[in-house]
Amino acid sequence: MKIEVVNLKKHFGHTHAVDDVSFAFSSGQVVGFVGPNGAGKTTTMRILATLDEPTDGDALLDGVSVVEEPERARHLIGYMPDALPTHRDMSVHDYLDFFARAYGIKGAKREQVIASVEEFTNLTPLREKMLNTLSKGMKQRLSLARALLHDPPVLIMDEPAAGLDPRARVELRELLRVLAAQGKAILISSHILTELAEICHGAVIIEQGRILTAGAIQDLLTNHIPRRAVMIRSLGEQEDLRRDLLELPRVEAVRLVGDEVAVDLDGPEEAACELLAALIARGHPIVEFRQQRANLEEVFMSITTGAVQ
Amino acid sequence: MSLTARLSEALNPIVIKELRQAVQSRFVSAVLLVLLAIQLAAIAIYLLISRDVSGNFQAGQETFMILLGVLLAASLLFVPIYTAVRLLAERSDTNVDLLFITTIRPRSIIAGKLLAAAAITTLIFSACMPFLTFTYFLRGVDLPSVFIVLALSFTVIIVCSQIGVFIACLPGNRVFKVIYGLLALNTLWMAFGLTMAGAAGLMRFGVGSALNSWDFWGPALAIALVVLSMGGALFVLSVALITPATANRALPVRLFLSSAWLLSGVATAIWSRVEKTCEPVIVWMVLSVIIGCIALFAAVSEREQLGRRVARKVPVGWWRMIVFPFFSGAASGVVWSCLMIGFSLGFLWVWGEIFPGFKGQSDKREALIWMGGLSLYAYCYALTGAALRRYLLRRLPPGATWLVSVVLLALGSIVPFLIGYLLSFNEGWKTEEVGSWLIGNPFAWGIKESRELYFIFTCAWAAPVTAVNLPWLIEAVKNFRPFRESEPPSGIVELRLSE
Repeated sequence: MKIEVVNLKKHFGHTHAVDDVSFAFSSGQVVGFVGPNGAGKTTTMRILATLDEPTDGDALLDGVSVVEEPERARHLIGYMPDALPTHRDMSVHDYLDFFARAYGIKGAKREQVIASVEEFTNLTPLREKMLNTLSKGMKQRLSLARALLHDPPVLIMDEPAAGLDPRARVELRELLRVLAAQGKAILISSHILTELAEICHGAVIIEQGRILTAGAIQDLLTNHIPRRAVMIRSLGEQEDLRRDLLELPRVEAVRLVGDEVAVDLDGPEEAACELLAALIARGHPIVEFRQQRANLEEVFMSITTGAVQ
Repeated sequence: MSLTARLSEALNPIVIKELRQAVQSRFVSAVLLVLLAIQLAAIAIYLLISRDVSGNFQAGQETFMILLGVLLAASLLFVPIYTAVRLLAERSDTNVDLLFITTIRPRSIIAGKLLAAAAITTLIFSACMPFLTFTYFLRGVDLPSVFIVLALSFTVIIVCSQIGVFIACLPGNRVFKVIYGLLALNTLWMAFGLTMAGAAGLMRFGVGSALNSWDFWGPALAIALVVLSMGGALFVLSVALITPATANRALPVRLFLSSAWLLSGVATAIWSRVEKTCEPVIVWMVLSVIIGCIALFAAVSEREQLGRRVARKVPVGWWRMIVFPFFSGAASGVVWSCLMIGFSLGFLWVWGEIFPGFKGQSDKREALIWMGGLSLYAYCYALTGAALRRYLLRRLPPGATWLVSVVLLALGSIVPFLIGYLLSFNEGWKTEEVGSWLIGNPFAWGIKESRELYFIFTCAWAAPVTAVNLPWLIEAVKNFRPFRESEPPSGIVELRLSE
């Protein structure tokens, strides 16, 4: 299964909520959709879920257009909106039974499917509980269970971890890992970027309806950090090391942090190699030299401006 | 598979969901128990305070009417409001969105809500049946009348539930919803009064002996047809309202209204021919033109661009232009409304010319002038609003065009009159002077002295309005083309990810 978002545009009057967004990914991959509030994430996801029509462009699920063939596309998509189930006077099992019927799953197969998703999302003990008595984490699991009822190859999840406590977040993360391992293509938006970095293979960063950058998480962490931080521990004098470091090109700042020296470098990864070579050439007894990795949050902050339309 | 299991599989999922929720709901149980308690109390009080029940041959009828009043009031208050509020609550969050990404159709959602309302009404009626049956033993009621009155009440409750569903589907903020709610309560009150009056008449005269007479079935069938048409129109409108704007949602509405218009036209023509009077065709024309005028205001608020989902449904070939007025889109809607109004007026005029000896010729002429004038005003206001929104108020979404037109209508009706009043203050107005100050009021055609002025004014207004809107209309007709398959996508950046 290949998911292709092609030159997607969505205009609301003069506001370009989504402006020429294109990216593609495949089965078994989890892609984070990251951006500030109002960046166009939910609009893009709603178009992918066939709930909105783009002004221009398209999204193809193995060649099935969400614009031209929404009925076919709906069979391929499981959508988890950011709002939680709120039906009154309804139990967990009845809720799933209703949606299974709405997806046209009939007879004994329906019972099997419901039992299977209840077990997968750990809802079996809660199946007779009424929806209004569920916690947010339980409701998120129920929402995921509903999205999985028709076994879609593509999952679109809008802020699934919002408002969850750490345990519920860990549980959700584990479920997503299993689903990705099962071969589902998952597009997930979240503000909890550290979590996204742990479960996503790639990320698309969007702001004001436009893609700022997209790629594998490792590439983003490597290529989109404003400065490179290196931690050095030497058996020699820290002051000598500090003085020498300040004389070297590309070194922007040097700080003493405990028994280590923190160096801010300007430049690509090669700059760190050159720095290490220069220090050894000057005879410093280096016992530890490590590059501090940026996290997705730093990448996000460095790329986005926080501007809204 | 057992019969119940098979039935469960065949049922609309919405019905099952609604009934399960109703069974789980303490509110529903409480309403049912209170209703039964009131019925029991009503019978007990009546029997206790009546001095001579055994000698009163109307005791059964009186008790029946009391119980029916309680049943109808409770059902009319509970079932339509319960159905509407449930739908409204579901529409206020993403639940309806969730339904749209399943394979369930908007038509099934509305049908399911109505079937659930019918099931709950049946439950309430069944629970009250022992009390109603009891009245038979008190004498004064005949069983056919009881069944017909109950069937009538049941139908009224379902139609009111459909009205409730329609109101719940209407877009709008809280203020609008409160206004809709008040209008709905008023409708329910009227429905209660009319049904009780009808039921009292039926019970008093009894329908048992009239069942073999056309005097009973004629009006009964006519009422049933009107109720069915109204219910059907509200049903297709409700479906259209919850269907995504990107779909071809106007098509079923226009097809239904056109079919109902045609069938009712044929029926009224036959009636007119048999009775040798133009009256039935006049009533049909008036109703059709009113619907056409309302449709004009709704049409200008539709989408102006042909969406790709709608474009996929455009047929290939010469009959593309025939289906154009039935498709979603502002231009299509305007054309459909104008055709509906034009054909209705034209048919009545032709009918009168073919049968000049029929009664009601002067009424026909008056109706043609009134409704022709009214529709001309509606055309001018609706399309002026559309042009204003398109060229001057570009920030407004197309969906708000009807509001611009309605504001224009209100201003046009009130402002000239106020100016005239201020200018002629204390001088005393003559009828003909008042008439000229009502030049913007579409309902002023009753003032015969000013008709010529109104006609000249509306024609002079309609000409530039048509000229301004014509390029847009021609463009819309040109763009009404079958969908071309998109070319394979190119230039997509594929994320290079390792699984």
